[in-house]
Amino acid sequence: MLGQLVVSGIAIGCCYAMIALAMVIVYKASEVLNFAQGELAMVSTFVAYSLMLSLGLPFPLAAASALLFAFALGAVCEFAFLRQADEPTLLGLIVITLGMEMMLYGAAGWIWGADTKSFPSPISDTSVYEISGIIISDQDLTYLATALLLAGLLFLFFRYTRVGVAMRATSQNESAAKLMGIRTQWINTFTWGLSSVIGALAGILMAPRTMLDPNMMMDPLLKGFAAAVLGGMTSLPGAALGGCLLGVIENLVAGYISTEFKSVVAFVVIVIVLCVRPAGLLGQEEIKKV
Amino acid sequence: MRSARILLTGSVVLSMLAAIGCRKEEEAPPPEEKVEKVEAKKPEPPPAPKVPGVSDTEIVIGTTSPQTGPAALWGSVARGTACYFDMINEAGGINGRKLKLEIRDDGYQPARTVAATKELVEQVGVFAMTGGIGTATGLAVKDYLAEKKVPWVGQGTGSTKMTDPMAHNLFAMFPTYNDEAHLLVKYITENLKKKKIAFFYQNDDYGKEALEGARKALEAKKLKLAAEVSVEVTDTDLASHVMKLKKAKPQVVILWLMPKHAAITMGTAAKLKFKPQWITGSTLSDAAFMHKITKGAWEGVHFDSFFELPDSEHPLIAKYKAAYDKFALKRNDKELWSTFFIAGFLFAEPLVEAIKNAGPELTREKVIAELEKLDKWGGGLHSAVTFGKDNRRGVRSVYLAKCEKGKAVKTSGYITFGE
Repeated sequence: MLGQLVVSGIAIGCCYAMIALAMVIVYKASEVLNFAQGELAMVSTFVAYSLMLSLGLPFPLAAASALLFAFALGAVCEFAFLRQADEPTLLGLIVITLGMEMMLYGAAGWIWGADTKSFPSPISDTSVYEISGIIISDQDLTYLATALLLAGLLFLFFRYTRVGVAMRATSQNESAAKLMGIRTQWINTFTWGLSSVIGALAGILMAPRTMLDPNMMMDPLLKGFAAAVLGGMTSLPGAALGGCLLGVIENLVAGYISTEFKSVVAFVVIVIVLCVRPAGLLGQEEIKKV
Repeated sequence: MRSARILLTGSVVLSMLAAIGCRKEEEAPPPEEKVEKVEAKKPEPPPAPKVPGVSDTEIVIGTTSPQTGPAALWGSVARGTACYFDMINEAGGINGRKLKLEIRDDGYQPARTVAATKELVEQVGVFAMTGGIGTATGLAVKDYLAEKKVPWVGQGTGSTKMTDPMAHNLFAMFPTYNDEAHLLVKYITENLKKKKIAFFYQNDDYGKEALEGARKALEAKKLKLAAEVSVEVTDTDLASHVMKLKKAKPQVVILWLMPKHAAITMGTAAKLKFKPQWITGSTLSDAAFMHKITKGAWEGVHFDSFFELPDSEHPLIAKYKAAYDKFALKRNDKELWSTFFIAGFLFAEPLVEAIKNAGPELTREKVIAELEKLDKWGGGLHSAVTFGKDNRRGVRSVYLAKCEKGKAVKTSGYITFGE
């Protein structure tokens, strides 16, 4: 069972990693913890669902449209709510994201209904491969492949594209970036859009597994947040590593200790990391020179 | 920019206050008129005590329901009750009064059930309560409703704690989970002839009481459960849970979960090549619906139930289906004609019967007395509802069924507990 727990843990960990990546991207840019991350993803997943069911769009087209929608939604949220805050404190911004979370949750329940639905997906639910006693499903492989691809693309994006470099500059030193001619306000909006897209991707991949309803991303959001804390809120590879680690740790605790404590693991991880190594595994300690 | 923002915020706040203020003015009593007479007035007789929730034209009945949240699939029960009342009102109501159902969403969270119930009893002023879903949610308001002496019929839970200790006002329309699990184990060992049984349960009173029933039944046969795995309401990834079940290599797995978790379990088990015989209690007895959301993986699941199935030929089912066609889709255009929806009719049937029998002079005590008189009452979807002076458990028999070709099919007649 050990091998199976680890493999399944890595698979679900990749989903947590994607959510963690989304949160870290926003955090790096503006030090804001985006608690609306899960609901942004959930709403976009519902949009994909509606496109497939009402308009009969094929999955790739529906998913791509939902991702575009996610970008727009994230950007609009940043523009309409966060940017309008007048000289806000960091805590104030986080509270705004909480408010957004509640609004999106309510809106989703109102538009699509609160009951659980099954999400149509081209990835087979039952096709599995067995390698020396360990079963890996198509779904698990898709999670792994997507996470790796995403990590690679983000790496290239941040290193070689203008927007990516501009984002890095803004997150390092906003005033200096402004002085260099970077329009930091729009960079922030773009950051939110990008983060929302990554979250939506996680949502669309997880929906066949967790089933589709307004609550579907609440638990994954907390796990993603814990993964980000574990890996380091300022480190993208850290987020990915944290996600996979958390998935594995959770499964091992559930398998060998008790399933009752599985949900608790994420919170225990947050507490331990913040006490022992606040910057996370791969994060960098912030040293403020006075 | 800044002053514009302040102006906008201020006007929004002011208009909200104005809206609230206008409402308050409507409710304020008119100013008293000046009393001209000097003579002492004779003291007026005290007004007749008003029965809460009853007026000349309507009876207000309350229910809490998981309209949102992880158990939202059970939210159709309350909407079934609403449809039932629509049907009754269309036929003229009861003794000249229409029934009004006030539904409050508790999201399957006991703390919210308490708040919603208090609102219904103290602010809305309901005559009685019907339905309600959940063990933890029901137990959270049991003492309160008993204290307020509100007749309460048909909470959707089979917990023995609802009727033991007995509360004068609370009438249960559900077999106990203990009895159900006991019967299912008997069925598995004697009819299906399987001995290795695992139990997958929700980690609260709902799941634990059924677990106890299953354990006791096996102990009587000198057997033990192969595995007992629990899950929390908030969990979404059940891979490790299913792995633990699989490790024990059971022939049969009994599920005592929310519909959402049951559906996720099916999917997860398929991905782990785990194919035991699945068995559930009546809480997951909506075979057609479960078949739909599990994309067919529910095929072959055995379960028990205690009221007519959606495509039964019982005349009441036809009558209720007509009401569904007429009223339900207007309330919620995605409503399904399903077991959970029909349960909303079942849970309220005895209350409606008692209100009818109590006559036009309606009081809470009269309704409770009428409920106690029901003895093998077959006027509803369950064939023999029986209460009594000391009996608050109206349903003591179930039948077995299974999911065949996406529909529920009976596999036995009614079996009474204790037989």
